[in-house]
Amino acid sequence: MSTPEIVFDNVSKFYGEVLGVNRVDLHIPPGITSLVGPNGSGKTTLMNLMTGLVHPNAGVIQVRGISPFAPEKLMKILGYATQYDAGPRGATGFDFINSGLLLHGFSTAEAEKRTWQAIERVGLTAAAKRKVAGYSKGMRQRIRLAQSIAHDPLVLILDEPLNGLDPLVRAETIALFREYAAGGRHVVLSSHVLQEVDVFSDQVILIANGMIVAEGQIKSVREEIHEHPSQYLLHCKEASRVASLLFAETHISEIRLAPEGQGLLVLTRNREAFATALERIALSGIDIDGVIPTDENVDALYEYLIGGGR
Amino acid sequence: MTPLSQIWVIAKMELGRVFFSRRSFWVYLLALFPTVIFLGHAIDAQLKVKRWGGERGVKAELLDQAQSGMTDEQVLALVGKPVTDQTRKRRARRDDDPADKQPEVRRYMMYFDGKRRVDLRFEDGKLVSRNARVLMNFEDDRRVYAGMFQYFYLRLGIFFGCLGIFINLFRGEMLDRSLHFWFLAPVKREVLLLGKYLAGLIAAAVIFGGGAMLSFLAMVLPHDSVEVQTFWQTIGTEHAFWYAAAAALGCVGYGSVFLASGLLLRNPIIPAIVILVWESINGFLPDVMQKLSVLHYLQSLCPVPVPLPTEMPAVLKMLLAPAAPTAVWISVAGLLTLTGLVLFAAMQAARRLEINYGAE
Repeated sequence: MSTPEIVFDNVSKFYGEVLGVNRVDLHIPPGITSLVGPNGSGKTTLMNLMTGLVHPNAGVIQVRGISPFAPEKLMKILGYATQYDAGPRGATGFDFINSGLLLHGFSTAEAEKRTWQAIERVGLTAAAKRKVAGYSKGMRQRIRLAQSIAHDPLVLILDEPLNGLDPLVRAETIALFREYAAGGRHVVLSSHVLQEVDVFSDQVILIANGMIVAEGQIKSVREEIHEHPSQYLLHCKEASRVASLLFAETHISEIRLAPEGQGLLVLTRNREAFATALERIALSGIDIDGVIPTDENVDALYEYLIGGGR
Repeated sequence: MTPLSQIWVIAKMELGRVFFSRRSFWVYLLALFPTVIFLGHAIDAQLKVKRWGGERGVKAELLDQAQSGMTDEQVLALVGKPVTDQTRKRRARRDDDPADKQPEVRRYMMYFDGKRRVDLRFEDGKLVSRNARVLMNFEDDRRVYAGMFQYFYLRLGIFFGCLGIFINLFRGEMLDRSLHFWFLAPVKREVLLLGKYLAGLIAAAVIFGGGAMLSFLAMVLPHDSVEVQTFWQTIGTEHAFWYAAAAALGCVGYGSVFLASGLLLRNPIIPAIVILVWESINGFLPDVMQKLSVLHYLQSLCPVPVPLPTEMPAVLKMLLAPAAPTAVWISVAGLLTLTGLVLFAAMQAARRLEINYGAE
């Protein structure tokens, strides 16, 4: 039985003298995993490595127990929607998917049936017989997604899959990822639009300059970084009084007034101590209307990790 | 799905693109060029027969009686009015040497007896030379065809045609940024390579094998029907077969070489020049090295050897003269072995190939 994980064991990839990724160790479990990093950070290289489009200079990669050097086995269980726009010259949307399915060994009738199903799933039925070259960016994104899911793979890899999609299609696409991941499959996607992935990802892998800087659930990644001060927005009427009480706490490193009089922006190095302090303040009779962590999204975490902290 | 059926599926998917690729449309021009030349030759001959025959045509026996020394008037009286008749008088010059015995008047008459064009030259009224040439000479045309086939069709037509077709199978997809489509299919790279090679081979063999057959027919058919019939009943079919086979095997050999080049090198001009030079200097090399040439085996398959003109410069003669031919079965086996080795190297390159469009 194959290992249901995607494993990178000390993998490095260089393009000549340019670093792609360096000494990557990863164990990606099933579910939705987002690779997050700025342009050129190595997200696409990681995806290309796990699909065999590029080969590592060092290290070993296994996708559910299959080496990317065995495309005849790997591509049976893997679908990859690449960032590359082009398909076979002159192909229609239908041809693009159907020809791929024929290579999977499906009969003509079965391939046609699956093609229409995949096209319908991404809402491109009306444009199926038009040439891919004439598609808009969003349509190309969708036809690539359709091609990657047409053979019902166990591992779905998607390079910036939400780029160029309108809000409605975006919501439908995210629902599709969730549905896929719910069945114990892998959905690995990349994005640099950070807010959109922390909403639906089970795991996040933060990558910068070809190195993994953090991995795991967004919350647990956040908790791993003990030294990182957490920022909270305190909604309260007596802001200056609360501020003076909090300044007495040693774990508080910064307190600012929130814009538009929303309350206070508090930076703490110890969440538990902060929670205890707030409890104490509330018990002293000062009203605190709400406590909102403002940096638990990927943006803040990412900024902290990549930008060297505050 | 077996690898063989995958190869066939890939080949079928590629065929349309190979046959109708805008990038290699000029390949058809190369393949059809000899046909156009021989058709042109036939049409030109037919027009001349029409123009020179009829009232102005003369009897062959009468023409043969015109001998050196006869006067122009005698010839006119014997044979009749020529198709063309031109007279040129020598201009007197001040510095003319009285001892110089250049003729004062030259007259040129051209006759046509239905098959031969006969040119008669008279100097000062006397017949001094007689040149007869059959307008459609089957033997000559077959030799011309053999020369065209070996020096143009094999060395240049099929060579550059295969360059255009096979180098685009991988390199073209890299430029179009569409190669990843194939790499994401559940097929071994070796199978993918063979599928694409098969597509290129079918297209090249149809285009150039068809071109060879068309030009062969364009060369044979306009000749006298009796000659043609005799030719088909004796050696015609065999010759046609070997020309088509040599063209197809040329596609097999050059196709594999250029497919491998497309995988190993970015610039197709470099392998083209290297291989062209290699094929050209092959005649200078020792026997063992000559066996590493596609052209060597192809020339060994050609049914009609091409005699080189004696006045040709020695260097050119060495470049054009084929090496001692190899037996047919060795030629075919040698070519297939060479192709197998090249394809094996191409498979290794395909396994290592990465998608890195930015570097293209």
